[in-house]
Amino acid sequence: MSPAPVIATVGLSKSFGRHRALDNVTLQVSPGAIGLLGPNGAGKSTFMKCLLQLQPITSGSARLLGREVGREGREIRKRVGYAPEQDCHIPGMAGCEYVAYCAQLSGLPFQAARQRAHEMLDFVGMGQERYRKIDTYSTGIKQRLKLAQAIVHDPEVVFLDEPTNGLDPKGQGQILQLIRDLWRIYGMTVVLSSHLLNDVERVCEQIIIIARGRVLVHDTLVNLKARKRGAAEVVLAYGQPVLQAACARRQWPCQLLPNGHLRIEHHEDSLNALLNVLHNLKLPPLEIIPSPNALEETFVQALEISHADT
Amino acid sequence: MPIHDAHYQHWEGVYCGIWTRRWVIARTGLTFALRNKTMRNLVALSWMLGLVMAGVLFLLGQLLVTDSIVIKWVATLNPGLQAFAKLLTAWLAQHPEISVRTTQNLLFYLFCVYSTPVSIFALGIAMPFLITQDLVSNAIIIYSSKALTRGDYLLGKFSLAFGILVMTWLVPVCWAWVIGNLLAPDWSFFWHSRAALGHALFFGLTTMIILSGLALGVSALSRREKSTPAVWFMWWVLGIVLQPIAQNTEPWLRYLSFSYNLKQIGLAIFRLGDDLKVAQDNIPILGEMLRSIRPVTREALNNPMLNGALLGLGLMLIAAGLIISKRVTPE
Repeated sequence: MSPAPVIATVGLSKSFGRHRALDNVTLQVSPGAIGLLGPNGAGKSTFMKCLLQLQPITSGSARLLGREVGREGREIRKRVGYAPEQDCHIPGMAGCEYVAYCAQLSGLPFQAARQRAHEMLDFVGMGQERYRKIDTYSTGIKQRLKLAQAIVHDPEVVFLDEPTNGLDPKGQGQILQLIRDLWRIYGMTVVLSSHLLNDVERVCEQIIIIARGRVLVHDTLVNLKARKRGAAEVVLAYGQPVLQAACARRQWPCQLLPNGHLRIEHHEDSLNALLNVLHNLKLPPLEIIPSPNALEETFVQALEISHADT
Repeated sequence: MPIHDAHYQHWEGVYCGIWTRRWVIARTGLTFALRNKTMRNLVALSWMLGLVMAGVLFLLGQLLVTDSIVIKWVATLNPGLQAFAKLLTAWLAQHPEISVRTTQNLLFYLFCVYSTPVSIFALGIAMPFLITQDLVSNAIIIYSSKALTRGDYLLGKFSLAFGILVMTWLVPVCWAWVIGNLLAPDWSFFWHSRAALGHALFFGLTTMIILSGLALGVSALSRREKSTPAVWFMWWVLGIVLQPIAQNTEPWLRYLSFSYNLKQIGLAIFRLGDDLKVAQDNIPILGEMLRSIRPVTREALNNPMLNGALLGLGLMLIAAGLIISKRVTPE
């Protein structure tokens, strides 16, 4: 039996004036590490904010953790954590004060909030800087602090909006490792929004790709990686017309790209058939580039949609 | 070096209720406001004023004791004052209930109205801690993402403003009443002054609610931490400046001043005109003094502009509500 969905939306739409930020989003998302992938302005943050009731829904309906968004906001947010993309600290507070305050706002008693704030700051790898005012923190420390405040009340689901923005590669790696552990070791559902394919691939098991407010794909990472279109780019030093003719005989669509490569759709899971053709024609390839998997392809498609829009 | 076990641990405790979470907002805001030295000084000043008021109540009580130090000291000042003190003593002895109520009512009115600027100043200092800072730093998103509604957030911030007024206003009033009457020659002073205390509390609570609401509205007006206190102080000063101008031009202009409107409510609650009449009837010498009061002042004491003041404050509160509803949103 599949677990109950943490997120369920039906025809969810959100408009800002004439601009449609979310367009008829229908999803059933089960617990896990979920990657919300898409270019900037695709609607990822709006989707999160609609679920958290930070933005009112224009039409459609949504349920989070089995409760209806819009009716049971307070109860939902008690079980949910959120780390927004932008800085949103309270000036004048030290890091540990801030996280303890957030814990109390989520309902933890004073003593427990203080203790748990320190535990979470340890978890995200913050040292003595927790006693300094937040205004003095670097971007990296602020990102850790945002993660700490989002999980301090032990939520069932945590929404992280671009948590690696502004981090150096080492910091990115550490934060992504923490996020990965949240689901894999501690069982907390993570919804990670990012415009970086690499980040999402490293952490998430389920991927939702969004572009122009529409969901292009929602599947597991394993399925998306396994899904290939049976195409390849062949780089030849000579004999391109001969190969094109051979492909035509086999009814394989073949296209000469501007860079001189031949893009051939061979409809096979492996490259063996294409290699046989090349062998028979005695055409030694300089390079064969297999087609990207569905994840990369859909992400590129999302980027193209986004660029076409701008 | 981690202080605790660096692994994530699930929390097994019981979550607090919504009223505790609202109180957390108010308490944390108060703590931050009190880190400001000027704010601490203002609270200390209010409490000192309360002590002064308690001293005045003590002196008033001493007038009942014929051989008290106060009577002897007054006798050394001048014969007129001595005569007045004797009449007052006689009146206090004859009608303790009326005299204590009347005099304390007058004193509490003066204390309440003339200590209001301290509270207004304290609110100005605390203005950034109300809503402004949360707008500046986007912290409003954090509040909205927690188990709180916008109403909970606003109630917490309202309680913060209210809490400041409790410290600068309610505590000194209660403190003055308790100490002043504890030092009185008779326990019955507590009972006789109940109406004066009731008026003070009613006026105080009304003022605190109105000022807290207005302060919230002003604090949501701008995203600049220095702008909102400036607007608050300018509005207050402008109201004071407008009062003499309004007398000679457009009388309605005076209702733009929240301090004027609050004063009118104070006059309506304390009903000083009635008290002065009672005092005038019982102490002839006081009657002579009171007859010299200007007719305009007498009219103001007897017939405060309550309707205009309530309308003015009502419109101000509606405007504050509109500003808050427009500005205090997660995005």
